[in-house]
Amino acid sequence: MASIACSLRAVRPVAMRFAPRAAPVVRMAPWRSFSSSRMSLARKYTKDHEWIDLSADRKTGVIGISEYAAEQLGDVVYVELPPASGEWTEQGDSIGAVESVKSASDINAPVRCKVTHTNALLEEKPATINQVPEDDSAGGGWIVKVEVDEEGAKQFDDLMDAAAYKEFIAE
Amino acid sequence: MRSSHLLTRRTITRLRTLSPLSQHPSPSPSASSASRFSTDAASHPSNRVQIHLSRSTDALLNLSVEHRLLQITPPDSTVLTLYVNGPSIVFGRNQNPWLQVNLNRLAQIAQKKKKKNTSAAAATGWNDAAAIQLVRRRSGGGAVFHDGGNVNFSVICPPEQFDRNKHAEMVVRALKALSRPNTRVNERHDIVMDVASSSSSSSTEKAATYKVSGSAYKLTRLRSLHHGTCLLRSPNLSSISGLLRSPAQGYLDARGVDSVRSPVRNVDVDNDEFKDAVVREFESMYGEVHLRDEFDDDTALQVEEVRRGYEELGSKSWTWGQTPRFTFSTHPTQEDPRPRAELPFDLNMRLVANHGVIEDMDIKHRDGAAVDGLDASVFHGARIWEMDDWAASLARAGLGSSLSYEAGQWLNHMFGTEYTKL
Repeated sequence: MASIACSLRAVRPVAMRFAPRAAPVVRMAPWRSFSSSRMSLARKYTKDHEWIDLSADRKTGVIGISEYAAEQLGDVVYVELPPASGEWTEQGDSIGAVESVKSASDINAPVRCKVTHTNALLEEKPATINQVPEDDSAGGGWIVKVEVDEEGAKQFDDLMDAAAYKEFIAE
Repeated sequence: MRSSHLLTRRTITRLRTLSPLSQHPSPSPSASSASRFSTDAASHPSNRVQIHLSRSTDALLNLSVEHRLLQITPPDSTVLTLYVNGPSIVFGRNQNPWLQVNLNRLAQIAQKKKKKNTSAAAATGWNDAAAIQLVRRRSGGGAVFHDGGNVNFSVICPPEQFDRNKHAEMVVRALKALSRPNTRVNERHDIVMDVASSSSSSSTEKAATYKVSGSAYKLTRLRSLHHGTCLLRSPNLSSISGLLRSPAQGYLDARGVDSVRSPVRNVDVDNDEFKDAVVREFESMYGEVHLRDEFDDDTALQVEEVRRGYEELGSKSWTWGQTPRFTFSTHPTQEDPRPRAELPFDLNMRLVANHGVIEDMDIKHRDGAAVDGLDASVFHGARIWEMDDWAASLARAGLGSSLSYEAGQWLNHMFGTEYTKL
């Protein structure tokens, strides 16, 4: 969703995005590693303004775009949903596109994932993305449901939580 | 074998293009005979300001090179590309060509070109020697018409610098420098020209506004692309509105993006003068130009990725198969209650297609009675752009000969079968 970053302010020096992904010491809260009964779904955000909810078992997720992104996009007139092709999509690769104000903008996979469901409501009512972009329920503006593997789950840990994302867009 | 050959060529290109970075190729046309489309130069991090001029008039090629530049130019670079397409209709990524374009007229023009039939030429009112290319682009927006009297500009920049008006304003400054002070960017980010009414020279002056340039955008994670047209001296202005009007309009209900119809006009400026003026404005915005390049069909198609993009963009599955879901119905329905004209055959037909493939087809008599012996399910899964003759298909589905002929001819007209089967 970099796209929307667009007219905004300087997002981050571009170089940062190319920073080697290696290093990130996985900052897992200790309870995570042995807890078998996690209570809540975790939601994290990317610098490209997508969000992803990861299930407690870290095997499935729901993806959408942030409220901030939806606002920046302007009126969404069409959402191009990916086919549930059974193929894995790498982190950062396109898993769909939205059109608003004559612009085709890619939606990128926040983590490595495999699309299992698409939100058919968006085909009929693309403006749902403007109204409730961060709603992952039926009737919400979520975009796809995905399967996540170990690598994707690891990538998830490195994304921003709500507080960090809020700070990021305020910059 | 093949890869090592490529490698050698790439290495040579790299050696040739990277060392004298500050040494610009001369802008004189004679020097360009040595130029080739170099993706190595275009992707080199030092080339932060680039200008690419196309010598191709193939809309597919120009869009494919532009797309490749979007993918490979350095993340912090700003890249201007200028190109002129031969006669073409270029429609938006999420549009429906059956709804946006008069395919029958495209077929007439293509056939006229083949037969050199002058009476058909007169009938279409078409002033160009070439057939019209139909292209679905990768960016959003609506359908536009191009020809040799139109110059396209495209600017690729980092997302954080993207602004829909920024480079339309650049083009307006170029037009103003060419003594077209009455041009401006409107609220739709298009360039318009305010013209005093010319209906009668002495009557009270009333300004009319015409669109001279339309824009569309493609936004990716790392790069933003803005491209636009500029009508300079198109000889085909009077044909545009007819070409962009489909007979299926009153029957077709499409998801996706519609076009906004605007009266258009030529700016009346020479192509080369316009290009020079845009280059000057671009240079005054971005300073020193690190790479100036020219490309043509041959050199660009030697680049593997350009060729692949070209093939994808020209494929039927992209042109037709990327069409968002639509419903076509001969009669008013709950979802699409628009009144319809009465048709000369006793049938109500309704079809639903996704990606141009028929998902559902329903054919009944007008009073709702089933048609004896008809099995419309034979249409399920059919690609509309591969239908050769709806009459034959209706007959195969079990419809009587006169009905299938009448309804089939009508559907052929609605879906521009003459054109899609070319």
